[in-house]
Amino acid sequence: MSTDNVQPDVDDESSLLSVDAWDRIKHTERFIFLISVGFALTFSYLFSRAPVISDVTQGYHGLTITILIWSIFALGFNLLLGQTGLLSFGHAMFFGTASYATALFSIHVFNEPLTIVVVGVLSAVAVGVVAALILLRLHTVYFAIVALAIGQFLYFLASNPLEGITKGINGLEVERTPLLGIVELDHQYRGILGELVVNNLYLFVGVFFVAVVMFITRIRKSPYGLIFKAIRENETRASFVGLDVWRYKFAAFLLSGGVSGLAGALLAVNTQFAGVERLYWSISGDIVVMAVLGGLGTIVGPIIGTFVWFYFRGIVNGFPTLGDYWLLMLAVSFTAVVWAYPDGIWGMITSLTEELRDPKALAAKVKARATGGSDAEGSDGGER
Amino acid sequence: MGSRTIHETANSVWFEVAGMTLDAAVGFVFIALSVASLYLLVAIGLSIVFGSLKYVNMAHGVLYLGGAYIGLLIASSEEYGGLLSEYGAIGLDLGFVAALILTPIIIFVLGVAMERFLAKPFYDRDLLDQLLVTFGVLIAAQELFAIVFGRTGTIYPRPDWLSGAISLPVIGTPPGLSAASTIRVLVVTLTLLLIAVIFAFFKYTDYGLAVRAGTEDSEMAEMLGIRVGRPFLLIFAIGAAYAGVAGVLGGSLFNVTNSIGMEIIIPSLVIVIMGGVGSLRGTVVGSLLAGFVFALATVVEPSMTQASIYLLAIVVLTIRPSGIYPSAKIGQ
Repeated sequence: MSTDNVQPDVDDESSLLSVDAWDRIKHTERFIFLISVGFALTFSYLFSRAPVISDVTQGYHGLTITILIWSIFALGFNLLLGQTGLLSFGHAMFFGTASYATALFSIHVFNEPLTIVVVGVLSAVAVGVVAALILLRLHTVYFAIVALAIGQFLYFLASNPLEGITKGINGLEVERTPLLGIVELDHQYRGILGELVVNNLYLFVGVFFVAVVMFITRIRKSPYGLIFKAIRENETRASFVGLDVWRYKFAAFLLSGGVSGLAGALLAVNTQFAGVERLYWSISGDIVVMAVLGGLGTIVGPIIGTFVWFYFRGIVNGFPTLGDYWLLMLAVSFTAVVWAYPDGIWGMITSLTEELRDPKALAAKVKARATGGSDAEGSDGGER
Repeated sequence: MGSRTIHETANSVWFEVAGMTLDAAVGFVFIALSVASLYLLVAIGLSIVFGSLKYVNMAHGVLYLGGAYIGLLIASSEEYGGLLSEYGAIGLDLGFVAALILTPIIIFVLGVAMERFLAKPFYDRDLLDQLLVTFGVLIAAQELFAIVFGRTGTIYPRPDWLSGAISLPVIGTPPGLSAASTIRVLVVTLTLLLIAVIFAFFKYTDYGLAVRAGTEDSEMAEMLGIRVGRPFLLIFAIGAAYAGVAGVLGGSLFNVTNSIGMEIIIPSLVIVIMGGVGSLRGTVVGSLLAGFVFALATVVEPSMTQASIYLLAIVVLTIRPSGIYPSAKIGQ
C-alpha cells in the first residue's frame, strides 16, 4: 500500500535494470503516462490491423474506440467501488444522462464535439449531486439498490413521460461537426499515423482516455485519494480520525459520476446517437461485471475487464456455435471471480508474477500459512 | 414489466372511475392488490432471508424465472425457440391448477439446493460480495434460459374459468366484483392465504421460533441446543417456493421471457429496502404502497406507471433512510 505515495528517484542509473528499479519506475506517474499514451497509440493497430496477433479481430477499428470509451466508464465506476468501497448498481444514470445532455445540447444549442462533451460531463455531475444527497445516507446494499432504483427511475422517466424530449426508443441523433470548427473528426490519416490511429475520432477519444488514466492516477497517489481508501477500509475509523467522511464520499461520488458521464458523452459523439437504453439497468450491470472481472481498485484491471467483455461481445459473439454462449460465459466467469478470486484478472496476473519473481517469499508464505501464521497479509492482493 | 394488460384495464377503469361506480373502484383496488401481491410474494422471501440470515439474494429472481418457465411446462404444451426449437411442442399440458400446485414444490427443492450451494458459503462474507455473486448467478441463469427457451416471450394459455369476471357456482358473480377479473382475484386471495401462513409459521411453530431466536443471536441459540441451520434452510426454501408461485401467477398476468427474473427482482429489492430490512410488516406495507401507487399512476398519469414505484421508493427512503419499519424484529 505504501508504494503509492512514494515518488522514487528514477535517476539512479546504477540499478536501472534491477527488479527494484522496475518496481519504483512502474509506479511513477511519468511511466504510467508513457504507457497509457503508448497503449492508446498502438491499441487499434495491434487489435484490428497487426498481422501477428489474431485474424478474428481484423478490421474491428470501430470496436477499439468503443473499448476505450467503456474503459473510461469502467475506470470511473472503479473510482467509486474499488477506491472508496461504494457499490453503485445505477451507474447508467450518469452514462445515459450525459449521453442525452450531449445530444440535446448539440441539437438545440451549439454543436461542437468538445463543448458537448463538457456539457455531458457537467450534466452527469449535476445528476450526481442530487443522487448523492439521497444515496450517501445509505450503506452497502441499501446504497447499491437505491442507486439502481434511481437509475431505473430515470430510465422510465426518459422512456415514457419525457418521450417528447428524448424521442423514446428512437433516440436522438448527434450530428458530427469539426472539432473547434477546424479539425474533421472523420479525417482519415495516411502513412504511419493512418496505420496507428486511422482517424481523428480515435485520437479524440484516445486523448480523453489518457487524460482519465492520468487523472485517476493523480487521485490515487494524492493524499486525497488515500482518504478514499481509508473510508473504504474502515469508515468509522476514518471519521474518528477527524475526517468528514460524508464530504469525501460526496467528492468520490461526483468524480466517479463525472468520469462515467464523460464516457457517456464520448459514446454519443462516437455513435452519433443517444438512446434510452443507455439508462437501463443492464448498462449498470455490464459496468459492474467489467470492473470486477478485470480487477477492482487498480488502473489496469477495469481496462482489461472492458477489453474481455467487448472481446466476447464483439468477437466471440460471431463464432459459429460458441457465439450464443458469450454472455453466459462472461456471467459465469464473473461469478467465479467474485466467489474465489476477488482481485480479478489483473490480480491473478500480478500475484502470479510476484510469486514467480520471488520464490523464497513464496516458500515462506506457504510455510507461514501451514503453521497458521497470519502475517501473510499485505503480501497478496496487489496494490489497490 | 409487460404491463400492457394493466394499462388497458386501468384505462378502461379510469373512465368508469370518473362516474364513480362501485365496480370501477373495486376493479382499481384489485389491480393495485394484484400488483402488490406479486411483488409481495417475491419480496417476502427476500425480506426473510435478508432479515434473518443477513443474506442479500439477487438470485431470488432465478426462482421467479424458473417458476414461470416450469409452470409453463406443466400447464401447457408450447413451442419454444432456442435449443428447444427442434423438438416441437414441449410440455405436460396438465393445466393451470396443476402448475400452481407442482411448481412451488419443484422450486422448493431448487431453493434447498440454492441455500446449500450458493447461499451457505456466503453467509459470512461481505454483503457486497453476496450481492455481486448472486447478481452474476442471475445473469447467468437468464442467459441459460434464453439459450434453452429462446429470447421471444411466451404467454400462458389462460383457461376459460380464469378469464373474465369472477363467477362462483351458486351465486354467480358476487355483487361489486364484476370489474375484478378472476385471475386478479385468484392472485390476491392466494397471496393473502400464503402471507397468513408465513405469519402463522413465525408466530406459532417451533421452527418459526427457532428462526426468530437465530435471527436475534444465532450463536446463543446454538449454544442452547437449537440447530438453527435447518430452520433457516426451511425458511429459505419456503421463500423460494413463494417466488415460484409468483412466477406462475406473474407469468399468467404478464408474459414470460428470459429477462423477467431481473425485472421482478429490482422492484422487489426496492420494496424490501423501502419497507425496512428484516421487517415482514414493512415488506407487506411496502408492497401495498407500491401496488397502489402503481395503480394510481395508471389512472392519473399512465406514462409514469413504471417510474412511479421507484419515485415512491426514492421519496420514502429520503424521508426515512432505514425504511418504513426500521430494524424491526423478524416475524413482526
